[in-house]
Amino acid sequence: MTATFLSSDYKLLAISLFFLPLLLGCPQQSSTTVDDQGASVSAFSWNLPANIPLPKEPADNPMSEEKFQLGRHLFYDPRLSMNGSISCSSCHHQDKAFSDGLSRPQGATGVQHPRNSQGLVNVAWMNTLTWGNPVLTSIEQQVTLPLFGDDPIEHGINESNFEQILMDLQADSHYAALFSAAFPEQEEPLFGEMAWDNIIKSLASFVRGLTSFGSAFDRGELSVAAQRGSRIFHSERLECFHCHGTYNFSNATIDRQTSFLEAQFHNTGLYNTDGSGAYPHPNTGRHEITGRAAHMGQFRAPSLRNIALTAPYNHDGSVATLRDVIANYAAGGRHTTSGTHAGDGRMNPYKDGFITSFSISAEETDDLVAFLESLTDHDFINNPRYADPWLMYSQGSTP
Amino acid sequence: MAYVFAGLYAMKIRFIFLLLLSPSALAHYIPSLTQATTVDASLAVSWSSASQVGDYDFWQIPGTLMGGDAWPTRKGVDINEMNIGLSHRLDDNLFAVIKLGSHSAGTDSHGAVDLEHAYVGWVCCDEFGPWVVEAGKMSALFSPALGVHGAERLSSDTPLVLDVLFGRHFHDQGIRFWLHETGGFSVGAELWKGQAFPATDSEKGGAWDIFGRYQWQGQRLHLSAGAWLYSATAEARADHRYGGGHQHNPVAPPGQAAAPFPDIRYSGDTNIGGLHGAFSYQLNQRWQLGMEAEWMQAKLDGIVHKNTGIQAQLDGTHSGGWLQPFITRDKHTLAIRAELLSMKNTLTGPAAPVLAAESGLANPLEHDPQRLSLIWRWQWRDHLALRAQAVRDNSLVEREHYLLLGVVWQQRLWPHVAAARDHHH
Repeated sequence: MTATFLSSDYKLLAISLFFLPLLLGCPQQSSTTVDDQGASVSAFSWNLPANIPLPKEPADNPMSEEKFQLGRHLFYDPRLSMNGSISCSSCHHQDKAFSDGLSRPQGATGVQHPRNSQGLVNVAWMNTLTWGNPVLTSIEQQVTLPLFGDDPIEHGINESNFEQILMDLQADSHYAALFSAAFPEQEEPLFGEMAWDNIIKSLASFVRGLTSFGSAFDRGELSVAAQRGSRIFHSERLECFHCHGTYNFSNATIDRQTSFLEAQFHNTGLYNTDGSGAYPHPNTGRHEITGRAAHMGQFRAPSLRNIALTAPYNHDGSVATLRDVIANYAAGGRHTTSGTHAGDGRMNPYKDGFITSFSISAEETDDLVAFLESLTDHDFINNPRYADPWLMYSQGSTP
Repeated sequence: MAYVFAGLYAMKIRFIFLLLLSPSALAHYIPSLTQATTVDASLAVSWSSASQVGDYDFWQIPGTLMGGDAWPTRKGVDINEMNIGLSHRLDDNLFAVIKLGSHSAGTDSHGAVDLEHAYVGWVCCDEFGPWVVEAGKMSALFSPALGVHGAERLSSDTPLVLDVLFGRHFHDQGIRFWLHETGGFSVGAELWKGQAFPATDSEKGGAWDIFGRYQWQGQRLHLSAGAWLYSATAEARADHRYGGGHQHNPVAPPGQAAAPFPDIRYSGDTNIGGLHGAFSYQLNQRWQLGMEAEWMQAKLDGIVHKNTGIQAQLDGTHSGGWLQPFITRDKHTLAIRAELLSMKNTLTGPAAPVLAAESGLANPLEHDPQRLSLIWRWQWRDHLALRAQAVRDNSLVEREHYLLLGVVWQQRLWPHVAAARDHHH
């Protein structure tokens, strides 16, 4: 018996020794260290709300205030076209959130563009930049299309006129100072082989710097109707937020925090001209680039910021009002009963899975529109920083 | 005669004590040849004086990635769990176990009943074993506390470290091979499909573990100790308590806020090592004292990410455990459970700040979660126990005090022998 107790005592001692490291091995103080690898740093003053991450800046064209201001001058300068008839601002009006109010604009030769002019709102946060091109991902690339593109012709700059256009810019004393300030590392940035590259980078910098985060929604000042509309917008019944989510109200939103975002394009059932899902040529969206049948009629979801200012809607400007857009979605697509584009878009086999139709009352539509209108940023459309500098010169002031 | 009664009384006390410490038929059990078929049931109900979090808040301990079934305590009455299990010995070597269980869940729980155990086992070679192979859906054996049900613990709630590192419950499909309590030693290995947190059941997911432990039962002293290693791989693991599949926007009554749950995912490895031990000492016929403890440390190496395409590298070390001394007099047990967690995380990448905040890994106050419980359990009847618990919960930054009152029913329904329990193989 004594031996048993001794044995038990030894085991008790052994188990006590086992517990000792548990008692002594007290964990360290908790902590979480965060390293964003410089993602919150920029040489450019973005003036963003705290909840908005910085957009990506291309390594070969970091943002600067000088490039932004030079790009602003170029954006509003009609000399940057084949016949001095149009500038970027011809199709991108500040009071319309840099859209133009037309279904489809005309270029310098009067040829009508097949696509609706998109608003230029928070473009810096978009991972693709046109209605249907999944591989066009930099603003610098995109800027070359209206300047130099020939199908359709917009600015109409080509080999026959680009030297003259450049000479016109070189003759303007404002540009000498602006180019020197924007590209101080170059001796003559408006002359020589870098001139057009500098123009493109400056235009891209201005477009990239058009930021709009000052709406009633951003200030948390929604009206009662807009609050109801917000609930409808974010409801499972309407599913709007799936394609128009994030702080930029588009699922094509990207920023410095984004590692990878697959380009998102959607067929919303606007057309079905052959009963097999066809969209009118040449507006077939992503399909134009990929040639894949499944991509027929797929277009990028635009940001809904300032959407109340950018009518008419959809890729071809064929939908006049926000109420019409909502009605199309409520019907699960658009049924065009006559004309060359007749067809039942509701039956489009390539239609996005979220376009399924829903019931919505007139009052709910009003509320939803009130919410969309709450995304209008009046500071943005009245901000003199984004306005025509040439107009200010003519008025005797300095931009 | 008095000696006989004293002996019987001591045996009864020992039985009650073993009931508290030993794994039950519902946790893990190899049916014996003498009682080929057994049916066991348990029910644990508790009442809490307060909720750990508000009705429209998420229970997210700062610095951790939680998930599984680690639901917070909510004010009022809660059915902690219900279980019913069937075990059958087919022949000298084969046996099968099926168990259905239902656990408390979130506010929108509908009391779903899950098939928690459905496995067959093969046991043999008593001369140099026994060796046991089990396959099917079952609880893990590597950490004894992980397979213990609420009805079998002294306390009504699960240790914090199990909530954080294993999502409270562990039921997975897999295979286990182990040497079963041979000379007091058990060693084994388990391979899992990955359906249990923190793994995922995916192409690169899954888990495995190895464990060893020693148990010894003397005249007055009972002791056990063990160590284990567990390794899990996860792909886009969600916190399925609040996230996971299709996200719904919560709706709160007017005047209250209900934020949507940020559905942050984790992809990577979780390697956890643990030590556990328990001892008890019978002072005399009426009094016993003892202690249980487990400590574990997890290494997280992976990425946290979100469906908007943002991600950050996570390198984390999460440690924690509990220490539970107790003293038993007759049918009453008084215990104190002290729990502590510690998390060190490093998140790297452009999205690290936002993902740290949304995932819950951020811990700006460097909070060390702690919980202290004073527990009283009264084995009122052979199969019915009452328990009361005063908790000082500091798992979140804001400290919460609450009381838990509970009742536990635990019984072998077949064969019906009052206060009888099968021995383990």
